Amino acid sequence: MKRYALALTLVLALAAGFGCAKKTETVSDTGISPEMQAAIQQITDARVYFAFDKFDIKPEYKDMLKIKADLMKQFPSIRVRIEGNCDERGTQEYNLALGERRARAAYEYMVTLGVNPSQLEMISYGKENPAVQGTGEAVWAQNRRDDFRVIAH
Amino acid sequence: MMRKFLFILALIAAMTALEAQAAMRVDIINPGQSVINLALATPLQEGQKPAAAMGQDLQKLVEQNLSFLPFMRLTDPRAVLGGSLLAGYEPPALDFRRFQLAGSDIVVTSYWPEGDSGTRPVQLRAFETNTGGRLFGKEYIKVSKRDLPEVADRFCADLLEALTGNGAFFRSTLAFVKKTGKLSANVWLVRPTGRDLRQITKMAGEAMSPAWSPDGRFVVFSHIDPRSHALGVWDSTSKKVQRIRFPGNVVIGPAFTPDNKVAVALSNGKYPVIFLLNHVFQKERILEQSNAINVSPTFDSTGTKMAFTSSRLGGPQIFLKDLSTGRVTRVSQNGSYNTEANLSPDGTLVVYSRMTDYGHRIFVQDMLTGMERQVSFGPGSDEQPSFCADSYFIAFASTRGGERSIYLTTRHGGDAKRVPTGAGAAAFPRWGMPVTGK
Repeated sequence: MKRYALALTLVLALAAGFGCAKKTETVSDTGISPEMQAAIQQITDARVYFAFDKFDIKPEYKDMLKIKADLMKQFPSIRVRIEGNCDERGTQEYNLALGERRARAAYEYMVTLGVNPSQLEMISYGKENPAVQGTGEAVWAQNRRDDFRVIAH
Repeated sequence: MMRKFLFILALIAAMTALEAQAAMRVDIINPGQSVINLALATPLQEGQKPAAAMGQDLQKLVEQNLSFLPFMRLTDPRAVLGGSLLAGYEPPALDFRRFQLAGSDIVVTSYWPEGDSGTRPVQLRAFETNTGGRLFGKEYIKVSKRDLPEVADRFCADLLEALTGNGAFFRSTLAFVKKTGKLSANVWLVRPTGRDLRQITKMAGEAMSPAWSPDGRFVVFSHIDPRSHALGVWDSTSKKVQRIRFPGNVVIGPAFTPDNKVAVALSNGKYPVIFLLNHVFQKERILEQSNAINVSPTFDSTGTKMAFTSSRLGGPQIFLKDLSTGRVTRVSQNGSYNTEANLSPDGTLVVYSRMTDYGHRIFVQDMLTGMERQVSFGPGSDEQPSFCADSYFIAFASTRGGERSIYLTTRHGGDAKRVPTGAGAAAFPRWGMPVTGK
């Protein structure tokens, strides 16, 4: 039994080792510096959330957008698509318009912070691309959002 | 002599007019519509024998069709004393009395003379049982088994037109979308009775808001893929789809004007505004804009009235623009979230969906009196209402059965009937009358 456990540990360690090696290799292949990798992560990870039927940026998200803006100015090759989304309650056509207003609110704020508009593009998915499935305010709140997707670097 | 001839001519004209006035009519416009009881006599062939296969099949299709008319009740053949097999298909061989006793207002006869090459003609007639007067009669020639659904639709359209003045329901085809996953939906067509179901686009991404051109040649729709919005244009003559992009990456809720141009919400760099496109789908001019969201235009058949959704007063509400004067008035007065307006072609009503505590519900408002009537009651959510060309039937999407499906109701409300659209979630029904048929 002990021998079996040892063998399993060895296999897992080797697998983990391969995993790391592969990751390093990918980064190296794509030519992304660790700094840019970190910047991309920071730009894409944090989302902006909205109140129901609103598209104004809440104060708590302004610092986060400033960090994104600073990173995009630091790495002008990064291009980001801002994706506006809504919860499931509204109707589809109006939600497409609302999602556009949400994406545009973040776009305009980042441009006022000095991001080159050519680094940004926008799209609204309305309620067609929920982050979380289900109903109830806890779910809806997570779906009323802007996603930030790096499309070039 | 001449005077006598003119007198006789005038007498004949007066009698004809009287007969026309006396013909049975169903008022589907005003509330409290009456119910009509209709009997289908057993189909006959030569020798006054019951017609075989095609006769029975057509009878079944007609029965299925007529079940979609909320003001029509079919007489159970077992309730007809002496049965529904008659000695003839028109007076005097037609015994109206037995149908009167069964409570039928109308009796329909069908007669199948001999044909050739596997086809047969069929004569269909409708009579009032009280007067024995003929509502109409038509012969459909060279009917094969494959043509039966088309014959049933044409006959029912003629019958509906004779009774109500408008047979658009059975001449219509609904465009709608079927969703197959996240950001994945395509445009389909179906008759309101569920026949002729077919897919017309096969595109990655999500199609939304299909709309027919008045000439029945095009279906336009919003198309959203992971990177862009576009106006999709399906041409029924080439069966091909164009994908047209616009600056600002916003294309929402296209609709045709009566003169075959498209109105659609596009970006003006700040807000979605309603643009009119020209005949080659390029921006022509702005129809409506404000410092708010303006989407979902819809027009009456004159093209002088445009209803739309706007957030100019906070939450979304329905507004009406008189395109000849430019005057904009608020239509929806109740509720904080009213969207998806659709004007009746006759311009007298607007139908829209309202967010309630129990989901969205469909409301109809009289444009003259401002009176509002709720015409759908769930459960689930009822959305995307659309008027038929007769300004009577309304199609909408609902989750009342679990998966989203298309249902039919009328301007007066009443029981909703599901449109069979096959497997998969169906939404965004929009009426049209394609000229090309199948």
